[in-house]
Amino acid sequence: MTGGLDIVLQVGIWGLYAGCIYILLAIGLNLIFGVMKVVNFAHGEFLMLGAYVTFTFYAISGFNPYVLLVASVPILILIGVTIERLCFRPILGTGKLNEIFISIGLIYLIQNAAAVIWTDEYRIIHSPFESITISVFGVNLPLDYLIIIITTILILIGLYLFLRKTRLGKAMRATSQNRKGAMLMGINVEKMDMISFGIGAGLAGAAGTLWVVSGQVFTPYMGSIPAVKAFAIIIIGGLGSIPGAIVGGIILGLAENFAIFTIGGAWKDAISFLILIVVLIFKPTGLFGESAE
Amino acid sequence: MSPKVRDYGLVLMLIVAGLVPLIVGLNPYLLTVLILMLIFIIYSSAWNFLTYTGQGSLGHAAFFGLGGYGSALIASWLSLPPFAAVFIGAGAAALAGLFIGAICVRLKEWFLAMVTFGFAIIIQTLVVSRQFSGITGGWDGIAAARLMPGGGGTNLLIEYYAILVIGVMVIVIFWLILRSKTGLAFAAIRENELEARAAGINPVKYRLFAFLVSAYFSGVAGALEVHHLGYITPEIFGVDISFWPIIYSISGGLMTLAGPVVGTIAITIVWDGLQTFGLTYGRFIIIGLLLILIIIFLPKGLISLPDRIREYRDKRKK
Repeated sequence: MTGGLDIVLQVGIWGLYAGCIYILLAIGLNLIFGVMKVVNFAHGEFLMLGAYVTFTFYAISGFNPYVLLVASVPILILIGVTIERLCFRPILGTGKLNEIFISIGLIYLIQNAAAVIWTDEYRIIHSPFESITISVFGVNLPLDYLIIIITTILILIGLYLFLRKTRLGKAMRATSQNRKGAMLMGINVEKMDMISFGIGAGLAGAAGTLWVVSGQVFTPYMGSIPAVKAFAIIIIGGLGSIPGAIVGGIILGLAENFAIFTIGGAWKDAISFLILIVVLIFKPTGLFGESAE
Repeated sequence: MSPKVRDYGLVLMLIVAGLVPLIVGLNPYLLTVLILMLIFIIYSSAWNFLTYTGQGSLGHAAFFGLGGYGSALIASWLSLPPFAAVFIGAGAAALAGLFIGAICVRLKEWFLAMVTFGFAIIIQTLVVSRQFSGITGGWDGIAAARLMPGGGGTNLLIEYYAILVIGVMVIVIFWLILRSKTGLAFAAIRENELEARAAGINPVKYRLFAFLVSAYFSGVAGALEVHHLGYITPEIFGVDISFWPIIYSISGGLMTLAGPVVGTIAITIVWDGLQTFGLTYGRFIIIGLLLILIIIFLPKGLISLPDRIREYRDKRKK
């Protein structure tokens, strides 16, 4: 029986690792939604930009790619803040469809700008720890997966402390709970919009770096599938709920990898959608969703 | 623009559309551009029909492609003429529309957009999956009967007029639905769902109906394109195909019958114009930028441009 258990554990760890990237994307989306009540459909493009920023700095400096989180996160925060200021601020409150459609314009803009800058070839980076595996409970695991899982946990703890303990974090939470109330308390809600968009983009940038170091290929068009999965996660977990995003991310990562193992790799992307539909049929507000609106 | 002026505009456009081939002649390249433009006018109008109920789909490629596959397969299985298969094959799109609509009608805009966005990608993975590629041909796709076998200028001209007739029919159907009680119900649901419900309108029923109609005619457009090209591949489910009708409708003007028509023509001209400058990625960047600028500065689309200019002039007079 140990053989079976080994495989379950192995696939489980793969699932956790895949879940990490989805969680980082989904939490960013949820943070932005919480504060601004906007869903950024171009969020996958931030992941892609994070991957290419890491790639570029790696090519220039040759540093350990994990260290390049220091580059990808701040750069993506800057990009996020700029996009919020130029594209979303002018149309905020003019209708939800407009906010959805503007992100489509952004998808075109960002994807093809990336294709001009970096060409649309498939790219890949090899992590320095690529060949190292360590044994946990008798299962051999790539060291990279463990580092990625630990890095994600650290980022999540950092985010938690930021939202709970700092003045800025508290102001952001207040804005997401009640925008008008926050305004009356003297919180600059537009500044909160900008910061939340920046942090969301930064988290996606971190996901991009982790995507690259795990040895997955990337192109300028890679963002849409992970973004779709992040949407599935926040629907499963509930729009605006950060614990929901974490649970949803883990569920999806695990389900996907067990699906690959049982019914075949082609269904990897379909399974997330099937889970999504099942959740929507039985609980239209998601597992942790507070209310329909 | 008052509704009446807009209607005259549509009639005028129709006359121009009827006469255009006289100018173009039998030039196959230009006729092909015009045919694809007509197909996309149908597709964008079908997409835009959904927005009347306040719903927006980011995955209409699913319906466009399913109509294409449905029609191509039915035409070859029953050896039907493509012009008949188009209307039966689009039933596949309508079924999918009913299914996804049933899940989505109770959802808020965000959820709806996300689910539809995912839906097109998932349909693509299913079409190429091992389980279905026996029927669909996997990534290689399958051949489809040509609308007018043989090709050549004259055949393309016949195709052009046939699709023009279908396009006019589709827009007239939309017009009839929208001026009926159903159209009023759509507007009520869009403006205030709670009040609509209080007035005895069942939003779920009307949204589902809008989804069904929109999916069906998107399927018709997809089927026409597939039979025009003579083949279909899973690329038809690409994000691009989902986004084009959105770009066309927004640039023209959402929630108007003329909007998608004007938008499709204007953007096609820009797009093909840019091609002559040899831009590849640049074209997409310009279109993306254009879309963002239109949403911010001209939210009612190009058809509101005359109004905006008049407003501006009046202001300057004062």
